[in-house]
Amino acid sequence: MKFLRFVLSALRGRKLATIGALWLLTIFVLGIGAPLIAPFDPLEIDPVMRLSEPGTPYFFGTDHFGRDTFSRAVYGARMALIIGFGSVIVSLLCGGLIGMLSGYFTGLGHYLMRVVDVLMAFPALLLALVLMTILERSVINAIIVIGIVYATTTARILFGMTLKLKNEVFIDAARCTGAGHLAILFKHILPNLTSPILVQATFIFAFAQLQAAALDFLGLGLPPEIPSWGNMLAEERIYITRAPWLLLYPGALIILSVFSMNLLGDALRDRIDPRFKDDIAGV
Amino acid sequence: MLAYTLKRLLTLIPTLVAASILVFLFIHLIPGDPAAILLGDSATPEDILALTKELGLDRPLWQQYIVWFRNVLSGDLGNSLFFDTPVLTVIADGAETSILLALLTMFWIVLFGIPIGIVSASFKGTWIDQTTSGLAMLFASIPTFWLGLYLILIFAVGLGWFPSSGFPSISDDGGLSNLRYLILPSLTLAAPNAALIIRLVRSSMLDVSREDHVRTARAKGLHPARVAIKHVFRNALIAVAAAFGFTFAALISEAVVTETVFSLPGIGRLVVQSILRRDYPVIQGVILVIVLLYMFVNLLVDLAYAWLDPRVSLS
Repeated sequence: MKFLRFVLSALRGRKLATIGALWLLTIFVLGIGAPLIAPFDPLEIDPVMRLSEPGTPYFFGTDHFGRDTFSRAVYGARMALIIGFGSVIVSLLCGGLIGMLSGYFTGLGHYLMRVVDVLMAFPALLLALVLMTILERSVINAIIVIGIVYATTTARILFGMTLKLKNEVFIDAARCTGAGHLAILFKHILPNLTSPILVQATFIFAFAQLQAAALDFLGLGLPPEIPSWGNMLAEERIYITRAPWLLLYPGALIILSVFSMNLLGDALRDRIDPRFKDDIAGV
Repeated sequence: MLAYTLKRLLTLIPTLVAASILVFLFIHLIPGDPAAILLGDSATPEDILALTKELGLDRPLWQQYIVWFRNVLSGDLGNSLFFDTPVLTVIADGAETSILLALLTMFWIVLFGIPIGIVSASFKGTWIDQTTSGLAMLFASIPTFWLGLYLILIFAVGLGWFPSSGFPSISDDGGLSNLRYLILPSLTLAAPNAALIIRLVRSSMLDVSREDHVRTARAKGLHPARVAIKHVFRNALIAVAAAFGFTFAALISEAVVTETVFSLPGIGRLVVQSILRRDYPVIQGVILVIVLLYMFVNLLVDLAYAWLDPRVSLS
């Protein structure tokens, strides 16, 4: 409820961000209701109808296996949600915990943040590529890998914020009342970090989409049989001259979703607690 | 400044060693047996065992690391399993393409990013600002490979203005005119990063323009354009300089994708191909080189930052 109020207050007076939020809501509905909304099975092959142009009954046309592009795009929305929310959860759990612990226990933090620094010496996609090679192509592994890649930035950001909060008077007050370390961290510091964490989550969600699409494109992302927007682009790219619309749909879906998420993130960031305004960079 | 430089150099060493251990471990975690790959399908288990011994792969991991690290320090990154040439040669072969691509990309980023950012900040809140900011964010949301594919479709296949793929060296026939092969790839690579710089120039100019010295400059009756360039932009440049380290990392990441889309013989494509070929020494070498380069660029950026803003090295 508090989240919803925060989001709504951030959207007040921002037309473009509101449209973005509505678009994301649409993607959410598409993803959740994919089996009801998609007119065809996304994996059903119809060799007679290969690469057919948009029309009826395939209003986005069909791909080179004769599969319905619209149904695949709808199931792609589901994958986008899974990858997006999954990576956000992984990176907030890993990065958030490391960041908060490091900011609170500075002695331990000194070492933990050094590890984070070393990981940050690897450019994001490169780290993701290597980790995906070690694990193998699967949805859960893609989520873990993208989550870990962005856990580093999350850790950095929450480290700084916890460091700032730790010296506030209300933390001293809590300590005087006899609160333990865990209680201070999770009952007093964490609640003050919820809105910046929400902002960070929107940016991770957006980055994760681009990262997952790039991994799919390089053949090191989700397994090829899974209908994701990135896989659709990767599979159909050689048909771009024969059927240019095939790449238009999944591409436009990725762009609009990432764009909307960034708009929403921007709106939330502007609404955020002034103490943390400079801490989150985003796009 | 000298003390600061030395301090930064010293802190680089442990990070470097840690990164090398990480690269080494990563490569050893990749499933598959290098000896078996090297010998091909017809190898007997005895052959594989013998080669494993010969390559030292049966020794404890830490010993292997020390041998590898000692070789790295003497400039020996091993031999490519696929090309059977030194890894350093393989990397050097891709360097020309990647360096030229990076330079051309940086050129577009500065050419488009900085002026558009200044204009956007100068017209804050107007339709000009809203349009440029909106477009910048839109470009930052486009997957690079998608943009590359459509640029090929329109400008290479459709209009025939530029070649669609490959890059012959500028020392080959055609000389500098071969750079036309890099126009579409560099534009692809520049789009999301220029967008980032536009947003950054804009926001840091807006930050600076709220400061007292800017108000004084305006009160003196200076021309608004002069205030914007000499007083605001010069100070805003500090934040922009810091962002170039970040941009460089993004460039490396996206070059992997862009070089693959345009089939460029660069280091980015080498990463992907050596991963797909399971060419362990090349993966290991190329990643180490990229991480080193990235750290070095970050060091330069930090030093430039300290030089532009002396408060940094003092604190």
